Amino acid sequence: MQLTTASQIISFAKELEDKAAKLYQELAARYPEAKEVFLSFAKENKKNEIVVQRTYNEVVTDAIETGFSFEGLEADPYMIDVDLAQNVPLSSAVRKAEEIEERIQNFYTTAAEMSKGLLADIPRTFERIAKKRTERKGKLTSL
Amino acid sequence: MAILEEPIKEVMVLKNYVGGEWVQSKGELQDIVNPATARVIAKVPYSTREEVDEAVQAAKQAYPEWARTTPLGRVRHLFRFKELLEENFEEISRIQTMEHGKTIDESRGETRRGIENVEVATGIPTLMMGYNLEDIASGIDEYLIRQPLGVFSCIAPFNFPFMIPLWFVPYALATGNCMIVKPSSRCPITQARVIELVDEAGFPPGIWNVVHGSGSMISSALMEHPDIEGITFVGSTAVAKEIYRECGQFGKRVIAQGGAKNFMVIMPDADLKNTIPALMTSFYGNTGQRCLSGANAVVVGEEDAFYKQFKEAFVGAASRIKAGYGLDESVQMGPMQSKKAKERVLGYIEKGIKEGAKIILDGRKAKIAGNYPETCFLAATVFEDVTLDMTIAKDEIFGPVGNIMRAKDLDEAIEMIHTNPYGNEASIFTSSGKSAREFQHRVNCGNIGINVGIAAPMAFFPFSGMKDSFFGILHGQGQEAIRFFTESKVVIQRWW
Repeated sequence: MQLTTASQIISFAKELEDKAAKLYQELAARYPEAKEVFLSFAKENKKNEIVVQRTYNEVVTDAIETGFSFEGLEADPYMIDVDLAQNVPLSSAVRKAEEIEERIQNFYTTAAEMSKGLLADIPRTFERIAKKRTERKGKLTSL
Repeated sequence: MAILEEPIKEVMVLKNYVGGEWVQSKGELQDIVNPATARVIAKVPYSTREEVDEAVQAAKQAYPEWARTTPLGRVRHLFRFKELLEENFEEISRIQTMEHGKTIDESRGETRRGIENVEVATGIPTLMMGYNLEDIASGIDEYLIRQPLGVFSCIAPFNFPFMIPLWFVPYALATGNCMIVKPSSRCPITQARVIELVDEAGFPPGIWNVVHGSGSMISSALMEHPDIEGITFVGSTAVAKEIYRECGQFGKRVIAQGGAKNFMVIMPDADLKNTIPALMTSFYGNTGQRCLSGANAVVVGEEDAFYKQFKEAFVGAASRIKAGYGLDESVQMGPMQSKKAKERVLGYIEKGIKEGAKIILDGRKAKIAGNYPETCFLAATVFEDVTLDMTIAKDEIFGPVGNIMRAKDLDEAIEMIHTNPYGNEASIFTSSGKSAREFQHRVNCGNIGINVGIAAPMAFFPFSGMKDSFFGILHGQGQEAIRFFTESKVVIQRWW
């Protein structure tokens, strides 16, 4: 699926955050030893959703290239599968989470690069959220 | 991706809002059709002259108390209104898409631009301040105070049904005046929703009134009305000229914004990678139905290779524009606002072909994403070999049609711009500061874009315009709007 418009990008970003939040909530329920970390991630995902939406709503104008900035951005490489098999060990769950984080980070990085034609607030927000993913991956590795 | 949910579920029957009450007009009802789906979504009344007068009387009655309300007291209503607009941001945007046809990104952009005017107007306690000088002569002081005038009216166009009334109303109210808004009879639903929020925000009755109906009847009733102090209008040049003339005759203040034919000058040193998306927004955004749309792309330079490179990139991008229902997030261009508007554009395309322009992208038969009737849809059209004497190069087409022209140098490009009677916007795309500076200085247009395809002034700057694109002295938005809606009273005082 191609993502072309700013509206699509924002919806896709929110969908990624929402799915990731659900995954972390499930992980928190399954692995009490890492509950705190997973819940903090889920909370941050929800916050990211709000930040992305707010940034867009506050800077969108009809005068910028909202319809044309993301031409050619394919969604498929960034789609995430959050289904988790039953009874997998924590280490496997963490590996899956790392993989998901990698995809989400790549999405934000690419979208930030492509949205330079939009008001700078949008790429800045994407870059900031992508950067947070690096910290998150570090925390996952340490589990 | 799925279609976003439509906020209008059943046919609405719109009412006037007069003196803080919802009033059913005695006038006949006209259908409002969603141009993408061809379904009737509302019925708008064509109010009578008597109903216009009732609104003016309600506003006149409310005025003295409102004018004496402190500026802080007045803007507190605007703060509440602004919060309600934010809370209902998405719904308001989707209504615009449903009644106008524009894409959801464009509607949200319009909503934001409108809200920004409310935000700026909340600064009235400082923006409205006068000035003073002690001792203009020994022992004598002089100062200027700004005072409201009374009842104003805003006659709004169809192409920005939310934003354009907000170029004026927040400033009029914040400075202590009362307002009568006449929404576009083609796109009145957004303003009907706005006035529900006005009601919820608790503005005193009679401060902000809405009367629906026919543009010509209501405009003349307002212009002839002795209790109306001034009119703001955005629409075609022919009507803007008429309104300017009549307001002069009846001694009223006026801001009358007319049509446009905007030139986009592409220098050989332009960064095409970034220029093309900007031009797509300029030429085809809002389906070309805006007074800041690009119309004539003038490619500068005698080098054929650059011209060819530009043409291919422009046509390639235009041919990929996805047309469809604006509530589909993947859609880049919605339908024309009406069947009549589409037919008008088709007429211009025919004329272009007949007068010898070469059609290199034919948008007459649109490929529509989704299962929607063709009634109002067009795809992007591009002409080349267009000369200045052709109708398509001179007239405002108000649709998704772009002309590619050539000029040997910047001087010739500027001369081409100046052959046109309009002066709304002109843009230059270049990496040379010298060319940009020259362009900004010499071009007689009110809004200049430098590597910007839609030079739409922010709320704290005036929405400028020159020549046949603007009739009046002060413009909408920002400080000029505050000057328009106030009288400057000078006081000279001494005390024995």
